[in-house]
Amino acid sequence: MMRTTVKRRLSGVLLLVAAVVALSWGHRQLAPVMRHLAYLSGWLLLAVCLFLTAYNARKKLPFLPLGNSRTWLQLHAYVGYFSLALFLAHTGWRWPTGAFEAALASLYLAVAASGVAGLVWSRIVPRRLTARGCEALYERIPAIRRKLAEDAEALALASVAATRSTAVADFYKLHLAGFLGRPMNGWRHLAEVRSPLMRIEARIADLDRFLAPEQRKVLGELAVMVAQKDGLDYQRSLQLSLKLWLFVHIPLTYSLLILTVLHVVLVFAFSGGAGAN
Amino acid sequence: MDTPRNQIERLGRQDNPFDPEFPDADLDRIASLAPFKDMDPESFPKKQPLRTILRSDTRIRRFKRGEIIVRAGDYGSSAFMIVGGDVRVVLPPGLPDRVLGRREPAKRSVFRAVAQLWANHRNPEVRTPEELGGGGGADPESGSRVFLQDVPRLIGKNKTVTLGPGEFFGEIAALSRMPRTATVLCDSDDAELLEIRWQGLRDILKNDAALRAHIDALYRKNTLSNALRSFPIFQHLDEEQLAQVAAQTQFGTYGEYDWSGDYKKLAKAGTNSVDKETVIAQEGDYPDGVIFIRSGFGRLSKRFGSGQRTLNYLGAGRWFGLREIAHNWRDPGAAVPFQFSLRVIGYTHTLFVPTRVMEQVVLPGAPNALLPGPLTTDELDADDDDPLKEQGGFAQRIGPELMEFLTGRRIFNGTATMVIDLARCTRCDDCVRACAATHDNNPRFLRQGPVSAGIQVAQSCMHCVDPVCMIGCPTGAIHRDASAGDVVINQATCIGCTSCANNCPYDAIRMVEARDTGGDFVTDKESRPVLKATKCDHCIDQYGGPACERACPHDALKRMDMTRLDTFATWLHR
Repeated sequence: MMRTTVKRRLSGVLLLVAAVVALSWGHRQLAPVMRHLAYLSGWLLLAVCLFLTAYNARKKLPFLPLGNSRTWLQLHAYVGYFSLALFLAHTGWRWPTGAFEAALASLYLAVAASGVAGLVWSRIVPRRLTARGCEALYERIPAIRRKLAEDAEALALASVAATRSTAVADFYKLHLAGFLGRPMNGWRHLAEVRSPLMRIEARIADLDRFLAPEQRKVLGELAVMVAQKDGLDYQRSLQLSLKLWLFVHIPLTYSLLILTVLHVVLVFAFSGGAGAN
Repeated sequence: MDTPRNQIERLGRQDNPFDPEFPDADLDRIASLAPFKDMDPESFPKKQPLRTILRSDTRIRRFKRGEIIVRAGDYGSSAFMIVGGDVRVVLPPGLPDRVLGRREPAKRSVFRAVAQLWANHRNPEVRTPEELGGGGGADPESGSRVFLQDVPRLIGKNKTVTLGPGEFFGEIAALSRMPRTATVLCDSDDAELLEIRWQGLRDILKNDAALRAHIDALYRKNTLSNALRSFPIFQHLDEEQLAQVAAQTQFGTYGEYDWSGDYKKLAKAGTNSVDKETVIAQEGDYPDGVIFIRSGFGRLSKRFGSGQRTLNYLGAGRWFGLREIAHNWRDPGAAVPFQFSLRVIGYTHTLFVPTRVMEQVVLPGAPNALLPGPLTTDELDADDDDPLKEQGGFAQRIGPELMEFLTGRRIFNGTATMVIDLARCTRCDDCVRACAATHDNNPRFLRQGPVSAGIQVAQSCMHCVDPVCMIGCPTGAIHRDASAGDVVINQATCIGCTSCANNCPYDAIRMVEARDTGGDFVTDKESRPVLKATKCDHCIDQYGGPACERACPHDALKRMDMTRLDTFATWLHR
């Protein structure tokens, strides 16, 4: 039996294709008879952009029965794809020649690209975060990391008295203190590169061969902490990326809206009274 | 010296009596009535004598003919004793909701909903003077009174039972934290009833064995037949046969009434709780009767390796052992023992109907549709490699890891459990922000909690079937909304005793330091902060249902009724 998610996506894609075909057909029909078809497609594109922006407003009004955010996001994505077809129809498949229009078109494409990238990223990252484990609330990660670093330092210092050797403490100071003390390998985690952790683990394994049993025990505990810290860095890096993309997408959206309003003013100011006949 | 504006008297249980104006004369009169006059004062603790309980936990209510006293399906926190007049209990199937005047919980007005955009306080946990000052006894069941006109016509073919002075009703719902099973109407021109909060009833029952026995006898006399009738296998029986079954039925009570403490200890120790649970019926034993779950939960498990694998959990209205007994009755030559074990999880009330009664009275006339099919050779010969296969359906779709998790953590208790699919959750916290926006800028849950198989159960009130948080509440501040059944806290009567927060097995209730509308922390006379209990109220007064679920863009968060595993399995594989 087909899953509801698959069914929903299939229906969405079919509807989108139908809408794009209808748009294309309508555009072909109207092009010969309507002199200022760009006005119609322009207003339509503006309406679509306003609808897409309204999703953010919906998020700010959770206490009103304005529909589920899930449905809004679905509509946001599919209407967003449709807007691309509308944009192409509006520009007539040509890159604008004027600087302002070129900037406007670039901004539109940047918004669209950031939206698609964000959607894809938000489908990929949760699975990665879940598979990796070390689940932590983003805001609590610094506190957890600090506690981990303090515990590791206390363990390393205590090992000096307990084992009458500075081998583990020296190793901690040289190779682990810096790693445990601050977020590390942000980009590498995004790219799923595990070599930094493997390097530290190799160093631990290397030292382990030369230690007495009680020192090994301490080193083993430190190794667990290192793995936990790496997991926290992983969580931080990926969760941050999920938060940051919205800081790209939303400001670009509002910039686009401002330029669009200017675009409308300019078009009407210099159109010489042309209308959509 | 003047009392600072933000300093108030600390509230105690006695400061929130059920009836703040209970006249002494009435109290004397009630204390002189049976069964209270026959109770031994010495059996009550000195710091909480019977008279104190009666004063703080009871009140007198008067009803007119045709007036509804309790409605079937409502959640009630109190029981009633008839002082004068008669009442009529309408037995199931009962009256339709329209006749009963059932209403949806009150929502905010549209303006107040929109006003949350600007009217929410900037400081956290602000309380109005009314919420801080104590509002007298919480009365979650109060509301406009509903009268039935032309009672005989409305009752129609429904059977009724008349109760008179000295009789109790409503105690099952009050003590088991379950919905009321029947509607009760006033059947006199003027009836006088003593309403007893469940806290008071619990304390009296704890100290007086005679009343306990009296209430059990009343249950057997008035309610048992209907309780049995609610199970399909008894529906074909006539009155005489049902009376035969009722006479032989045994009551069973297992586990601790306040099971939260034991559970927390087990969870903390990381012990596999199956080994600690009381066995109600053991796999491999002779099936000596069918066990019907009246309230609470049981764990259905099967031997697997050297342990027990959980196959399902059985809640109120489910039964155990019927299939084996029907199999043996059909084919006595190939008798089989219990195929599974049933263990108590938490606190469970059962009805036990012996095999002999089942074979002689119930099974012979039972329609084929109600009889479970015989155990097949495949089922009987199945090895232990995958007992979930035998259960098939949703148990298999949920998988062994999650089944153990849901049972071990007692997640099955939730009717609105916040489950998060971590493979979809982008950790955007839109759910937390939506919750805060709808609760005066105070999020009422934490997006963290135990995880199994990629499913997280967040620290949010689950609005439990068996809300153990209510057990210790001295004022009844934490109660069930009468119609929606959600567990909510009356801020005006919450005295900040932390009992509910300590009792909640899921850490879903948080104590907060209250502020006044000026943003200052409120303190008592000893300058200690005034605490209030807070938790998810399931957006009971908001439009559109829980804001958290509606705010999730990725379909990752769901408020799930975990008593319906089929729905959960469907959601998992959506």
